[in-house]
This record gives sequence, C-alpha cells and structure tokens, in this order.
Amino acid sequence: MGLLDKLSGWLGLKKKEVNILCLGLDNSGKTTIINQLKPSNTQAQEIVPTIGFNIEKFKSSSLSFTVFDMSGQSRYRSLWEHYYKESHAIIFVIDSSDKLRMVVAKEELDTLLNHEDIQDRKMPVLFFANKMDLRDALSSVKVSQKLCLENIKDKPWHICASNAIKGEGLQEGLDWLQDQIAQSYQNNEQVKA
Amino acid sequence: MSSVESSGDGGRWLDAHYDPVAGLYTFSSCVDLADLSGDGESRLVVGDLGTGSSGMKLKVYRGTALMSESVLLDLPAGLVAFFMDLHEPRIPAVAVASGPCIYVYKNLRPYFKFTLPSLEINPLEQDVWQQVREGQIDPLTLKEMLESIRKKDDVPLSIRSLRFLSLDVNDMDEFVQLHRQQPIRRQTVITCIGTLKKSTADEDGVSCLVIGTENSNVFILDPEAFTILSKMSLPAVPTMMDVTGQFDVEFRITVACRDGHIYILRRESDKPKYCVELSSHPAGLVRIGKNVVVGCTDESLQGFTQKGKKLWKIILPAPITTMAAMDLPTRGFQGVLVGLANCEVHLYRDKNLLSTIKAPDTVTSICFGRYGREDGTLIMTTKGGGLMVKILKRTAAFDDRDSAPGPPLAQSVRLNIPKKTKLYVDQTLRERENGLAMHRTFQMDLSRTRLAAARAYVKALESSLTPVSSSLSEPLKMNAVVQGLGPSFKLTLNVQNTAACRPIMNLAISFLYDENLYKVRNPYMRIPLLVPGLIYPIETFVENTNDKGVSDVIKVFVLHEGKSSPLLTAHINMPVSEGSTLN
Ligand SMILES: Nc1nc2c(ncn2[C@@H]2O[C@H](COP(=O)(O)OP(=O)(O)OP(=O)(O)O)[C@@H](O)[C@H]2O)c(=O)[nH]1
Ligand SMILES: [Mg+2]
Repeated sequence: MGLLDKLSGWLGLKKKEVNILCLGLDNSGKTTIINQLKPSNTQAQEIVPTIGFNIEKFKSSSLSFTVFDMSGQSRYRSLWEHYYKESHAIIFVIDSSDKLRMVVAKEELDTLLNHEDIQDRKMPVLFFANKMDLRDALSSVKVSQKLCLENIKDKPWHICASNAIKGEGLQEGLDWLQDQIAQSYQNNEQVKA
Repeated sequence: MSSVESSGDGGRWLDAHYDPVAGLYTFSSCVDLADLSGDGESRLVVGDLGTGSSGMKLKVYRGTALMSESVLLDLPAGLVAFFMDLHEPRIPAVAVASGPCIYVYKNLRPYFKFTLPSLEINPLEQDVWQQVREGQIDPLTLKEMLESIRKKDDVPLSIRSLRFLSLDVNDMDEFVQLHRQQPIRRQTVITCIGTLKKSTADEDGVSCLVIGTENSNVFILDPEAFTILSKMSLPAVPTMMDVTGQFDVEFRITVACRDGHIYILRRESDKPKYCVELSSHPAGLVRIGKNVVVGCTDESLQGFTQKGKKLWKIILPAPITTMAAMDLPTRGFQGVLVGLANCEVHLYRDKNLLSTIKAPDTVTSICFGRYGREDGTLIMTTKGGGLMVKILKRTAAFDDRDSAPGPPLAQSVRLNIPKKTKLYVDQTLRERENGLAMHRTFQMDLSRTRLAAARAYVKALESSLTPVSSSLSEPLKMNAVVQGLGPSFKLTLNVQNTAACRPIMNLAISFLYDENLYKVRNPYMRIPLLVPGLIYPIETFVENTNDKGVSDVIKVFVLHEGKSSPLLTAHINMPVSEGSTLN
C-alpha cells in the first residue's frame, strides 16, 4: 500500500478531490519523491527529467489525490502558476546540496507565495530539504534560513529533511500534510454546518 | 561565504555566492565553464596565476566549492575547454597554455603536452657556444661576442644567451659551466589561445586549438594529433583573439595585436584579410554575432563589422579591466560585459548600456554561461582574489532603451534611403564640377523673374488692372461670373467694400467691348451705396450678336463719379457662344 493510500485511510474522509502541486527547481527530486509514494509494483525504476509536467492519481478509500509533478527547468517554470488555483496544497522540494541555487529556489518560492492565486489562501506548504544523504547537503534548519521560511506567516508550513531515493523523511512530511488537509476539511464542514 | 548587498541593478541578478577570500588571481582568458564530468552540471575551470611567480594552479569549482586543484608549472596565458575526440560520454578536455607549451588535461589528469616548434638559431651564436664548449673562449669574450651578434639583430638571440648577458660578471662562470654542454634552443611563447570547431557547428563538436605566439604567428592545431594544420602570420604580436566558424568550412580569427591594430584572418589566406587601426591599445575583444566589440585603453568601447568597418564608439566612465561576452541563446540575448576600474561591470548591447553591476572590488575576470544547472550565470573574480557568482533572474528583462542619458532611440533608427541611381551620380558630379556657373545662372534667372514680376505689377497698378482696389479712400474687391451657354449670357459682378467701417458712394460700372460682337443690356450702371463687408451682386445680360463662334474680352471698369481713371478694371474672357451654333 502506497503512502497516500495510508494517508487517506487515516483521514477517514469521504472521497474528496485533493490536488497537490509538487514544485521546486529542476533536479531537486520531485519526481523521485512522488515515485516513492506510488505502490511499489507501479514505481518507475528510472527517473528522467520531467518535461512539462506529469499527473499522478492516487485513489484511496476516502480520498482521491491528484499530484501535479511539475518540471523545474527554468523554461517550464512559467507553467506552474496555471495550476495554483485548483491546488489545495503545495509540496516544495529543495536540493539541499545545491548551495549555489538556493537563491534561485528562494526567488521562485517568493514569486509563488506572492502570486495572486496563492497569496490570500491558507493552503499548507510542505518543504522537503531533499538529498540529505549527500555529504555537502545543508541541514533542514539551514535550508529554512536560506529560504527565509520564518517570514511565511499566513500559511501553515513544515520542512523536513528527506532522502527521496531511500524514501527517508517522506513519511514525517506527509503525516503533517494529512493533518493539515484534515483540519481544513473539518473547518470547512463546520462552516457549512 | 557571504552575500553582497543589492547589486544595484534593478534586481535582475541573484547573488548566488561571494567569497572575498577565495584566493583566485586570474584573467578572463584563463577562465572557462565546462561540463567536466558529463553529468549535465558545468564546472568552473580557472588557471590561477597565484602570486605571478609561484602558486600557479589549475582549479576546478563545483557550485560554491573548490573541487580540485593541481599545480601548474608555469604562468598560464590562456585556458580553454574543448572536445578533442568523439568518445562517449562527451567530456571536454582542458588546455592550458603556458610558456611555449600547451598542457592538455583529460578528466583533470595531465594527458598530453604540446610544445611549439623551436625557432631557427643564429649560426654565429651557435658557433660561439660551440667554442665555449670546447673551452676556447672565456666568459668575458663570450659576452663581447654575443653582444656584437645581438647588435646585428637579424636573428634574435636565444633565451640562454640573453640570460647570460644579463648576468653579473661573478655569476658568469657558474652559468657557463652549468649550461655549456646543452644545445641551445630558441623558443617562442604562447600569448593567447582559442578554439575552432573542426567540421561541425555542434555544441559538442570536436574543436581545434588556435594559438597566437610571441613571434607574431597564429597556429591551428589538430585536436587529436596536435599537428599544426595551419600557420598564419601577423604584422605584430597577438594578445587577444576570437575565433568563429569551422576549420573545414570557413572561419574567421579576429586578433587584437600589440601594435594597437586588429587583424582579421580568414580561411583562404595566411595573411590578415582586414585590419582596423585603433586610436589606442585594445584592452578587450568580444565578438557579438557578426560584429566585434573592442574596448580600448582610452576608456572607449567601439563596435566594428566583421570586415573592420567602424560602427560606433562610446566613452566609458573608467578604464577597462576586462571584457566578456554575455550570450544567452535560450532567451535570444547577446551583450558585452565590461569590467571597469571603478568596481563596476557594465552590460552593453551595441552601444546601449543596459545594466550596471556594482562589485565590492575591481573585477579582473568575467565569464558568463552555464554553471551548475543555471544557464545565465555570471562569474567574476576580483583583484583581491574574490570569487563572485550571480545568476540572472528568470524574469529579468532588458529593454532596448539605453539606461545612460543620451540621444533618443529614434535618432539611431536608420532611414530607408534608396540606392543611388546613375542619373543621381551624374547629376551630383555635374553639380560638383559646375557649381559656380550653376549658381550664377540660377541667380540671374531669379533676378530676371523678380524684374518681370515687378514690371507686371507696376503695369497693373498704373492701369488699375487689378481686381482689387487698394486706394485708401475706396478699397474694393470685385469678381465676375458669367453664366449661360449663349448667345445670351448673364454677367454677375460681385462688388465688395473691404473697408473696415466706411461706406462707399457714387460708384458706377461701365463696359468696354467690341460692339460688333456683343450687346450689353446696361452698358452703364450705378452702384448703390456699398456697406462694408457685404457682397453686392450687380447683374446684366450680354448678347453675342455674332454667329461665327467668335468670342472676345469684355473689360469692366469701376469708376468714381467725377474721376476719369477707373478704380478697378476686370477683363472677362467671354466663353464661345454654343447656343448660336445649335441653331
Ligand atoms: N543523492 C540523492 N539523490 C537524489 C535524491 N532525490 C533525487 N535524487 C536524484 O536527483 C536527480 C533528479 O531527480 P528528479 O526526481 O528527476 O528531479 P525533479 O525535481 O523531478 O527534476 P525535474 O523533473 O527536472 O524538475 C535524480 O538523479 C535522482 O536520482 C536524494 O534524496 N538523494
Ligand atoms: Mg521531475
């Protein structure tokens, strides 16, 4: 059973559509992370740089997930914003060993958070400080400093170090994300009631 | 590692890395970017000059970290990364030019050493050293003989003889003992190095090395065998060069030389094809598309076509320290980066200043290209040995407007001027040759025209022929309208008093005409009082009594009672009576 299946099980929700946008620079490990979430029999053996984007659907007893795995190459980054409106949560992946491009990741994150379709929404943002296994990788604390995450005040966010190849650290992040989604649905329900 | 504060460039660049104590002392000619491990991530390769006498190193950076360094035996004059073979994976080799040699590194390990062919040795010098070896002459005689050979100056002395001549008398013996057994050699050194694609324009196509030498030659080397494919000679020592094209097809080598000239070499010839004489010495040379941009020591930046025609020149605020091309094909952008002694780096597109980057120290080398995974990366090293990396923002835009004050853009828009025709050229020649006569003729005709006009005017005034009376007491205007087909015509005279407020009285109209042809119903009419400004139509009928289709002029006079000369005269050209011919 894939992680997302478990996730929806715990949530105990009716089949709801949840759109998750997976963003980050090229080579940060987005596709590798999403691949890990799939049931092991459908996991791809080889991961190639994404062209444009890929859509992965996960069905569980109560939830129906759609994950948009966007390409991080600079020529495709302009596609990201077209999916902001329909998405309910964001996973932002950072290659913590790519110190040179931390500024670029920060620039893209700032642009994302200041976008009109994101700015005023209380959607959860999960950060993966990926490739923590590499020798020169920055710690998740250092990554959040570099990206100035403490400045995000109006959105719930969480960062965890991960190793997408082994699947380490992904669980912690997804647990947090499921809580956030569950909470927001409860809030919605309360509003409706 | 720390970050520089805002670079003062409208936020176009991201400050990715700045290490003020990186200990990198180099020039733009010794810096290159290349994917040295074939993993899609470009590395920075630097030939570090160290202190200038020691500590020369080949350094490779990956991201923000120094990945490897190896000792260089001599000062590097230039460094290039190039593909020397077709092996997979496609990993470029690095060539470092220093002294008379090129050291080629593959996978960052020494792979091959190429040495320039030695030069011809002065036979007299050879003889003298032969005698020294046989112990026939002492160092002092050697010195004298070498000096006399040097003065004749047909073939320069070898480095060893020159070193010997510079020695103190006490050191001479030891020097001779040490060296006399070895044969003397004369060698030139490499001053600049570039690459030239062999037969394809592909990004990873095999490239030849192109080198310029101190004895004013340019060599093109085979990438695999390192044999000399082509040798060209220049009138002066090359210091910087740019190479474009393909060796097997067509190429162009633009060389800046120590005589303050720029020479352009082409495939067909071993001598320069074009030459540009600069007003001062070149400090930087960059090719943008088909044009060449040269920075000079007189603080100017100049643009030339590939044939050496000057396009523009601008004056910079400080001396140039270094120059590099900024080529960003993914965004179709090309510009020139100019490092200045006032710690600024200016970006120009043609002569327009697009942006100014402020550096914390004087920039001595600039390299722009793909570094790591980022296409638009600007790498600079400073005089103090600092390393600075900036990344062009994805959203950065450079508008074509010049950010420096100056003439408006419209001024540089070229007008669509048609080609000169033969007629035009002939006329221009004629004008150039006979200018004086043409001017005189024109002036004479002009005077004649004026005279004729003045005469006509006087005549009109004298005979009151004008339809406008300008007399002060009776300013009048009149026009006449003839209506009808004939033989009866209606003649309407519109009379107007053009005075400001005074009415005119006691006017009359009479006609003068050929009584055989016309009969006017009222040949004499009184005009009523004329109120200023109003138009008075005065009508009468004219009958053409002739049926032969002849017409004539009827003269109309406006008269003042009691005066014989008319105030106004009008000539009416009567139309041919068509009615009579119908009968
Ligand atoms: N060492 C290490 N390598 C990783 C890790 N995660 C991903 N990678 C490697 O990083 C490379 C890029 O991973 P991708 O998943 O294709 O990256 P991406 O973010 O999808 O890239 P784009 O599709 O181009 O935007 C692959 O070679 C992965 O094997 C990690 O945690 N540790
Ligand atoms: Mg991907």
